Amino acid sequence: MHRQWNLSVIDSPRPVVKLEHVSKRYGAFDVLKDINLSVLPGDVLAIIGPSGSGKSTLLRCINWLEPANSGIISVGDVTIRCEEVPEKSRLTALRRQLGMVFQSFNLFPHMTVLRNISLAQERTLGRSRKEADAISLNLLDRVGLADKAYQYPVRCSGGQQQRIAIARALALDPKVMLFDEPTSALDPELGLEVLAVMRELAGSGMTMIVVTHEMGFAENVSEHTMIMAEGEILEYGPSREVIRNPKTERARRFLRAVNDR
Amino acid sequence: MTGADAAHIAMGIPMTLGLTAGAFAIGSVLGFPVMLARSTGFLPLRVAVIAVIAFVRALPPILWVFLIYFGLGSGLLNLSPFVAALSAFGLIAAVNMAEIYRGGMLSISSGQWEAARALNLSRVSTWTDIMIPQMTRVALPPSATYVIGLMKDSAIASTIGVTELAYRGKQMSQITFEGLSAFAVVGVCYIALSLPVAWIARTAEKKLRAKVAR
Repeated sequence: MHRQWNLSVIDSPRPVVKLEHVSKRYGAFDVLKDINLSVLPGDVLAIIGPSGSGKSTLLRCINWLEPANSGIISVGDVTIRCEEVPEKSRLTALRRQLGMVFQSFNLFPHMTVLRNISLAQERTLGRSRKEADAISLNLLDRVGLADKAYQYPVRCSGGQQQRIAIARALALDPKVMLFDEPTSALDPELGLEVLAVMRELAGSGMTMIVVTHEMGFAENVSEHTMIMAEGEILEYGPSREVIRNPKTERARRFLRAVNDR
Repeated sequence: MTGADAAHIAMGIPMTLGLTAGAFAIGSVLGFPVMLARSTGFLPLRVAVIAVIAFVRALPPILWVFLIYFGLGSGLLNLSPFVAALSAFGLIAAVNMAEIYRGGMLSISSGQWEAARALNLSRVSTWTDIMIPQMTRVALPPSATYVIGLMKDSAIASTIGVTELAYRGKQMSQITFEGLSAFAVVGVCYIALSLPVAWIARTAEKKLRAKVAR
């Protein structure tokens, strides 16, 4: 009996990221309208849609880089009610679980690659310099850049910088990785090496939410795909289904435009 | 004019240097909180600080020296000429350094702040590990220019009797009636002081730039 109860829990795992009725306004403009979303552990979710659809804003609301105006955001066991101003400790607890990768990499230009990855480990997880550097070198090896450890970021290509940024986020042991158009600032070839790292990461079971224009990634790597437009979720479901058989006319139009390129 | 006369003028170097370095040190330290207050999201404080900065900069340095020495110094406080001049130049340096720091801060892209927040770095770590090192690089050249200007302005302290280079030059010209050579010695002293500052600044900047330049 007891065993059965356990199984039912395994059958329906709790979402690691959950948004309920999340809305955000810039002045009179509704960027996000009543967004509801659940992401299960191990899920890879691609968010696609035209620019200005609110997909990046949605991602940035999850780790409170941008405060939402209303709704509830839960990550793991941390819950934020957006109407209230969350206390610092709660934001810290929220962000502890989330790794973030930016479109423009945002590495620290005055530090070596190794220091970029080790700094936050020492400051926020209390790891020693030696411990942090060992973990950083390991991660650099994983993204194929062990030889860049003692270089400065400007000596690295855009694709390399983005892989370093991924390593920097992974070094803090996040439960969920957020990617904000990670390949949009890169030429196609350099984008590929970043996508390869992301594909490997997805294969390792990492939970990922990826705002992207890479339809190949959405279709072949991410389990679920969400299409957004004008601050709303148009479509959500298994990637292949959403991309091949969209239900709404607006989504069909967007996908046609993407495919015509 | 004898060598001893020239040496008498050169003895003003420690006073000029002390006044300049002291005022610059005060300005470098106080400039930081002034810059933070100048950039705060709390509107009343920001407006007040903007007004104070404009006010301090609007008056000529000699007026600040007089205001503090003859104004505060008479009756209210008993200030030596050196302390009065140091206070005046420290005040002026603080608002100017605040603006130099602010220029450095504005040069840092918003992505750096976002990365620091996403990595959960504390406020202190964000400043000391990320922002200040990058600001320093941008603020270094204007700071070096400023400290050289400050040293030249410090000659104003001679008007209230601080025995620095200009004061001693004037004293010697009145004793020897050889104004040209007396003030030529003063000029050589100023050049000798400003050259190393310019050289150190340039070398430091080159070093910093070589590391991170695109």
